[in-house]
Formats: sequence, structure tokens, C-alpha cells
Amino acid sequence: MYLQLIISGVALGSMYSLVALGFNLTYATSRTVNFSQGQSVMVGAVVAYAAYVQWGWPLPAAVALSLAALAAFGILVERVAVRPFFRAASIAWLLSTIAVGIIAENVAMVTFGKDARAFPSSLTAHPLMLFGAGVYPQELLLPVAGLGLMLGVEAALRRTLFGKTLRAVAFSHEAAALMGINVNRTIAACYGISSALAGVAGILIAPILNVSATMGTIIGLKAFAVAIIGGIESPAGIMTAGILYGVFESLVAGAFGTGGREILGFGLVILVLALRPWGLFGTPAVRRV
Amino acid sequence: MLRAVRTLAWGLAALAAAVPLLTANTYYLFLAGLIGAGVVVGTGLNILAGNSGQVSLGHAGLYAIGAYTGAILATRLGVGFWVSLPAAAVVSGAVGTLLAMPALRVTGPYLAMVTIAFGIIVEHGLIEWETLTRGFGGIADIPKPHLGSLPLALPQYYYVVGAAVVASLFLARNLARSPWGRALAAVRESEVAAESLGLSPTLARTTAFALSAAFAGAGGCLYAYLTQFVSPDSFTFETSILFLLIVLFGGLGRVAGPLIGSIVLMVLPEALQQFSNYRLILYGLLLLGSIYFLPRGMAGAIEAWLARFRHLVPGGEGEPAAPTPAVHPEALEARGVRMAFGGLQALADVNLAVAPRSIHSLIGPNGAGKTTLLNILSGYYRPTGGVVRFAGRELQGRPPHRIARGGISRTFQTTQLFEEMTVLENVQVGLAGPRLGGLGSALLGRRTVAAREVALRAEALGLLAFVGYTGSPHERARNLAFGHRRLVEIARALAARPALLLLDEPSAGLAAAEIEGLGQLIRRVREAGIAVLLVGHHMELVMEVSDRVTVLDYGRVIAEGPPGQVQTDPAVLEAYLGIA
Repeated sequence: MYLQLIISGVALGSMYSLVALGFNLTYATSRTVNFSQGQSVMVGAVVAYAAYVQWGWPLPAAVALSLAALAAFGILVERVAVRPFFRAASIAWLLSTIAVGIIAENVAMVTFGKDARAFPSSLTAHPLMLFGAGVYPQELLLPVAGLGLMLGVEAALRRTLFGKTLRAVAFSHEAAALMGINVNRTIAACYGISSALAGVAGILIAPILNVSATMGTIIGLKAFAVAIIGGIESPAGIMTAGILYGVFESLVAGAFGTGGREILGFGLVILVLALRPWGLFGTPAVRRV
Repeated sequence: MLRAVRTLAWGLAALAAAVPLLTANTYYLFLAGLIGAGVVVGTGLNILAGNSGQVSLGHAGLYAIGAYTGAILATRLGVGFWVSLPAAAVVSGAVGTLLAMPALRVTGPYLAMVTIAFGIIVEHGLIEWETLTRGFGGIADIPKPHLGSLPLALPQYYYVVGAAVVASLFLARNLARSPWGRALAAVRESEVAAESLGLSPTLARTTAFALSAAFAGAGGCLYAYLTQFVSPDSFTFETSILFLLIVLFGGLGRVAGPLIGSIVLMVLPEALQQFSNYRLILYGLLLLGSIYFLPRGMAGAIEAWLARFRHLVPGGEGEPAAPTPAVHPEALEARGVRMAFGGLQALADVNLAVAPRSIHSLIGPNGAGKTTLLNILSGYYRPTGGVVRFAGRELQGRPPHRIARGGISRTFQTTQLFEEMTVLENVQVGLAGPRLGGLGSALLGRRTVAAREVALRAEALGLLAFVGYTGSPHERARNLAFGHRRLVEIARALAARPALLLLDEPSAGLAAAEIEGLGQLIRRVREAGIAVLLVGHHMELVMEVSDRVTVLDYGRVIAEGPPGQVQTDPAVLEAYLGIA
């Protein structure tokens, strides 16, 4: 029983981490985050479902279409909802990305419908028995794929020229621009990547959670909670925090039901922010006067 | 033009008062009730988001607590509307105060997360705590409110809600015009500067949360009695966004904002009912549209349009009045002050003594640690070691607002004015300092508050004349030229009635003539009995006005004495020119 809960917690938690890594990327380069990340998860699942189930595309093509759509969505969000508000020392970007998110959700509701639909996957057809626990292979795939992807992204950022560019922009917009780096394009790319990561999470999660227009909001909020608990500037912290949060809420849900899961989960977020506003694994910023 | 607008406003108010006489259509009256509850909640959210600058994405939670308080009191305990309404405000206000605790330490997206999390917790709490809230189904048998034994049907209840709307707007307007309102705005505009004037950001933020929550609670109770039914569906994240939209679209920080916002946001979806499936798209577009095109909302746009018909009062209204130091002239003494940032030793065993009524300068090459020392003296940094004594008390480790109240005020290297406030208001914040008066009096707009405002105004104008500010006192700080910014900041610091004034590079960026005026001003400040610690780069100014000079280099004092002596000190020459 516990093993089963822990495995599904790890599975879901790794998806929170994946989405939260997107928050890390955009925050590092632009000090902004995309509050429509949750809707990116939803768009990923919905587009993949439409292409794969409704139009009968082969799965790889459906996934490719979904990710391309999301990269475009991320870049669009950056262009219309974030870039105009960089300079303003306000949270206008926070509200405008929320606005884009609710628009996306409504568009999905109108085109896709209000009902939740099952995403067929051979990996959720039959549970495996693992030390007496019934586990879907998909649940084992999630953390493997999620962690693999995260480590891949991190490694790529460390090795490639784009990674260097990204770190230069994160360090200083002015200095990066003086070195000939196109800061706006780098930030836009981060938004694209971050939405695509959320899309991967959406596709991976779809066979377990079903696909619906409203599936994204709560996942996005939890991913943001994970980013904050882990320390938004610490990718390793985010990966750890995501898994821990997933396991925590899975165990709580097992004991108190789903309502208790949200109450205790978000209560934990408030507690962490009250005690360690810079996150469990982050470091506090020095105050400037 | 202004008169025409005022007449129009009164006409609309009269029309609103006559609505139940003109129509018996319950749908319109119900919609009007929803608008009214929206205005009350929006007014509260405006105090939080507009006045104090903390955006809440969880106000539906506080609204829900008010609504359920009313519903539970009525259905379980048989308590009537007139008791439930204040009770709902109190319960929500108390929860809002609790919510302020985790919210105080965070801003921006982090604050958004705290408030979102709070909203979700309340929403699920309503579902889960079935014994109290009856879970998903909600509470359906809320009775009509009564006045005596007379039940209030919709046309009568309309006036109850209307009175609540008028009362909310009245309280919000009074608050904005009081020292409390300015304190909230000051913390919003620059927390650092607010602290330097003795204001506690914690107190200001918590007050804003508590007040805002009380309004939300009252609005929730009004809603519960309007619909006579409450269920968790009405208090979701989407509801929180709707409230925020009411405030943003109406006009953040404008008293009339929530009124305009609530009317538009409640009526529009009803008018476009055949498009009800597209409601979120409408909200999203309105939200984007207000952020893009109406940064100060509808009310702000109307205000800007009306301002064209109004003329700014020219400056020079006040007679120059020397500032009065609050406490006796006091000496400052720092001994063995050390400061390390990680491995970097910014200050090492620094001693500094500033005599009462003297001008003491602190000079040194870039990176010598001058501003670090100033930040320690004013409480922004806690020194790694050493003692700072002022007026017989040790200061190190005390928060900035406590030090400011003890008689030390300061200016900043990059001026930290309250940009959205007028010049006059900036100085008034300093004058009132932590003495904000009773919150109740401020909300009710008592005469004592108004009388004090008149006195504060006169005093502020006197101080502006004293520092030689010649512009309009009604200009917003963000529109000021650089030289004027410095002068206003000094006037504001003097307004706090310090015994010691810390000036961080006040001459930076000033023209030659302005620097001369600054020198004279610094002398006038000393003559008023206030000691000045001047951090300066401009040697001519420093040598001309100072009684004593301390020279820092690499975090150590390398010379100290009268200007003439310091100027010829070989260690100083070496530090500045590289010659021995």
C-alpha cells in the first residue's frame, strides 16, 4: 500500500519538477516566471490527444506536433505578456501571464470540450506487481523520463554555447548584450523551452490523470510551489523538492483523501515561505540599500 | 468641466438610489446586489493591492470566510444580519491578520503563491469540513435579513447593500487621506525609505491585510444574504481573479476604481450571456487590456483627463521654517565596528565620533566602506562586531525604523522618494513618522485627523522652503528633476525631526550652483541644532563645511581630524593620489 503510494508520488512529483524546471529557466534569465505554465501542461496533453486519438496520427508525430506548438506558445507568451513589462518593477507580467493562461484554458474548453478523456497508453493497460504493489508501467516511466530529461537539459546547458549564453544573460543583461548576445531572444528561447518541458510533462501524465481543459491550473500551481520550496534558482533543489512534494501529497491523499492533500500540501507551501522564503535548498539574497 | 462631471456623478448616484422605485425586476436588483458586494470586496482589495502594493490572488478565501460566517451564524445560531455583518468582518479580518504573517516576508510571485495557496486551502476546507459547512452542497436555508420584525426583500436589501457601498468608499477615501494611508503607500513605494522615517513595514502591511480582509468578509456576508445560499463553487481561484480584475480594470489605488470595475465586470458577462462559454477569454482579454492600456485603470484614465482642467498650485506657498530636532542634540559614537560579507572584510575596527551640532564628513575612495558604515549606523546592516552608541543607547542590531525613531534619519545614494506621491506628501510621511494616530479615526475621517492634516501641510511647506525647494509641492515625485529630488529627500529626512542627519553623497550629480546651495543648506541644518554626517565625494564641499573629517580606505580609518589637517595627511594623499 505504502509502496504503491510512494511510487505514484515519485511519478507525479517528477512531473512537478519537470514543470518547475521551466520556472527556473525563465526566472534565471529574466526574473519573471510564466504563470501559464500549468496551461502549457494542459495544451501539451490536449494537442497530443487530438493528434493521436482524434486524427489518428502516429504517437511520435503527435508528440512532435504538441511540443512544437508549445515552444511556439511559450515564445508567444514571452512576446505578448512578459517582454513589454520587463522594465516595470511591478508584477504586471505575473498578471498578464495569468491572463494568457485563462484565455488558453477557455480556448481549450471551447475546442476540446469540458469533459475529461482517457489517453490510451499500452503502459496503463495492465498493472505490474512489484513487491506486492500494483504499479502501472507508465508510473515507472515518468520519473525515469522526467529525471533523464532534466539531467539532459542541465548537461546541455553546461556544455553548449546556448547554455553559456543563457548563463551570461542570467548573470547580467547589460554585460551579455555588450558581448553581442541577443538578450530578448535568449529569454524568449527559455520561455519556449520551459513551455515545451511542461508539454512533455502533460503528455507523460495524460495516461494517468486523463486529459481535460482544466487539468493544468492545479499542476501549474503545484509546480510553482515546488520551484519555491526547492529554491527557484536551484535546479537540483527543484528536482528534489518535486519528488518529495509528490510523495508527501500521495501519502497524505492516501490517509486523508484528495481534499486533505490540497489543504496540507498548500499549507506546507505557506509554512516554507514563512520560515525560509528563499526555499529549502536556496540561499537568501543580501538586502541592498 | 469639473462642475459638469460632479453634477453627472451626483445624477448617477441619485439614479442608483431610485433603481428599486423604477423597476421591480428581481433580476436587476439581484445583479445590483452582486455589484455592491463586489464594490465592498474590491475596495478592501484595493487597500491591499493599491494602497499597500501587495497583490492578493486569494481574496475569494477571505470573501468565503465572511459569507460562511454569515451563513453559519444565521442557520445554526439564529443570529441576525446586523450582528452577522460585523462578525463576518471581524472573523475575516482576524484570518487576514494571520495570513499577513507568512505574507510579510515575501513579495512579487512569492506573495502571489502565499495568497493562491491560502485561497485553495479555504476552498478545500469548505468542502472537507462538512460538519460545519455541509461540504459540496453548501448552506441553502439562509433567511432574509430583518429590520426589527420587518423582513427585507430585494428592493429593501438593495438599500442595505447601497449603504454598505457608500460606507466602504467613504472609509477608503478617508484612509487614503490620512497618515495611515500615506504610511501604506510609503511602504509600497519604498520600504527602505519608509523605514528610515520610523515606519514599521510589518505594521503597515499587517494593517493593510487586516483591513482588506475585513472588507472582504463584510462583502461575503452581504453576498450570503443576497443569494441566501452559499457553496464552495462560488469561492474559487477564478473568483479571486475576478476581484483582482475589478480593482485593476477600475483603477488600482483609486477610491472610485472598484465601483467602476465592479459595475463593468458584473454587468458585462450578463450582457453577453449568449457568449457565456467565453467568459474566461473575456476576463483574460480585459486583464491584458487593462495592463497594456490602462495602467491606472478606468478611474485613473478619467482622473488624468480631468487633470487637464485643473491647474497645479505654484510653489513658494510656505514660509521657510527651520526643522525642530525631536530630541536633545546627541553625540554618536561607533567603536570597533566590523562588517564582513562572506569572506570580504568591508569594515575593520572602525571608530567614529560625531559631536552634537557638528558637521562630520566621511570620505574615502570608492569601495572604502562609507555607505556600508552608513547602513550600519541606520540599522540596514547588522555589524559583524563593534558597538554603535547614540543618545546613551546601543543601536547595533536594532531595526532601521527603531533607529529612526531614536533620532537618526538619512538620505540615500540613489534617492528613494515615494515616486507616486506628491512632494508635499513625501514630506508629510516624514513629519507624521510613526505617529499615525488612531486607525479608527483615520477611517472615519474624524475632525482631529483633518485638523492635524492642516498642521502637517503647513509644516511640510515650511520645510520645503527651508531646504530651498522652489517647485510645486503638488507635483508627483517621479516627475521631479534630479536636483529637486535631492532637496525633497533632505526635507523629508529633516521632517522626521532627527538629532543626527546622515547624508549619503548628496552632491553626486548636482551642478556647481546646486552644490553651493547644498553647502549652505547643510550649515543651516547644523544651526538648527542637528548634527550632520556627510558622506561625500566632492572635496571642495567637504572641506568647506566640515568641522571634522574621517577618511576611510579599504574599510579602515586612515585619518581623522579637522579638514585642514586631513588634507595634508600623507596617508590620505597616498590613498587618493598614490603618492606618499
